[in-house]
Amino acid sequence: MSGDLARRQADLVAALTSGAPVPPGFDAHLVGVARTALLRKRAGEVARAWPMLAASLGSEWQATFAAWAATRPTNGSFRDGFDLARSLRPLTGEAARELAEREAAWHYDGESPPTRRSRAATTARTWLLRLRSR
Amino acid sequence: MTEEYGVGIGWRPEIAGFVADLPGLRFVEVVAESVHDHGPVPEGLAALRARGVAVIPHGVKLSLGGAEPVDPARVAHLATVAAKLDAPLVSEHIAFVRAGGVEAGHLLPLPRTREAVDAVVANVARTAAELPVPIALEPIAAVFDWPDDELTEAAFLTAILERTGALLLLDIANVYANARNRGTDPLELLDALPLERIAYCHVAGGAEAAGVYHDTHTDPVPPPVLELVSALSARRRPPALLLERDGRYPPAEQLRAELDAIAAASGYPAVT
Repeated sequence: MSGDLARRQADLVAALTSGAPVPPGFDAHLVGVARTALLRKRAGEVARAWPMLAASLGSEWQATFAAWAATRPTNGSFRDGFDLARSLRPLTGEAARELAEREAAWHYDGESPPTRRSRAATTARTWLLRLRSR
Repeated sequence: MTEEYGVGIGWRPEIAGFVADLPGLRFVEVVAESVHDHGPVPEGLAALRARGVAVIPHGVKLSLGGAEPVDPARVAHLATVAAKLDAPLVSEHIAFVRAGGVEAGHLLPLPRTREAVDAVVANVARTAAELPVPIALEPIAAVFDWPDDELTEAAFLTAILERTGALLLLDIANVYANARNRGTDPLELLDALPLERIAYCHVAGGAEAAGVYHDTHTDPVPPPVLELVSALSARRRPPALLLERDGRYPPAEQLRAELDAIAAASGYPAVT
């Protein structure tokens, strides 16, 4: 088997990140161990980027993140947390505020990477947010 | 890195205060992707540079082992960061982290085949051509292996080092983890590697879960890893050794004790 390293690497990444079957010949148990470790690592990284979201789920954070992320390859911790936070709406308390502040400060359509809004746009949106929450 | 730097530590924002207070420190490492190539160097790192501490950018996302060519923008970033920090060298992994446009989110092992050697050699050449300083390559800890390995680990690594002319960043904790998980002898690997090519070593902690030892960087350095540091130093002492800690940071006293233990195991002066 030579000349197809690119395809075989892609198959392995798909098995680890997208729920695709483990490629033939690999130790399925050990690849599963790696997949679990990967999800744990991602959960920790997203928790650092979205501390209030993670804190709001407490001991359920790890399992909630893993269930959401098991078939979703990472787009980076910040964007992963953004997607997960939106999927868990309505959020409450600090987690809701964390998401609202980021919705105000970032333009993110869920398709392309989030981009920071101008300072003026962020201020206006934060104001609107405060008015609405009165 | 011909200079002897002794014992260092991976610089992370969370432990920047602790690192700044180490009186004998002569080198640190920073995750290359965490440093902006435009804009100022993080304050803590700039302060270390000002007192003559060397800073080595350590890349984690180049994917040198990918079958696809390395992303020129990522190479340019690494080169810029190396120049900004006036680094003596940079380091990256013998691994791949993405394929077919999908990020794995972690360092993944390569098949130990000639085809994979070719892929790494080509990507290291593309990278080295843009870098202002030498590159050291780090073999990773693998939780699983590919089914069709043609080469032993030592032969695989030696082939890559010889053909690229790169230096070796030997992670002692990875040597320990792989040997333990594969049931092989870590000393046999040390005896088969070109130890004279070592630029520096990583030392880190790990933990066993479900029968597999994980190189977590969030647990204490276990005694057998320190014993391997001694065994390596007895063969040929590496010019520098670096403690990697990436989370669940322990009290300063404990981190100091780990640094002292690495110094004792290698015979370098304590930096604490």
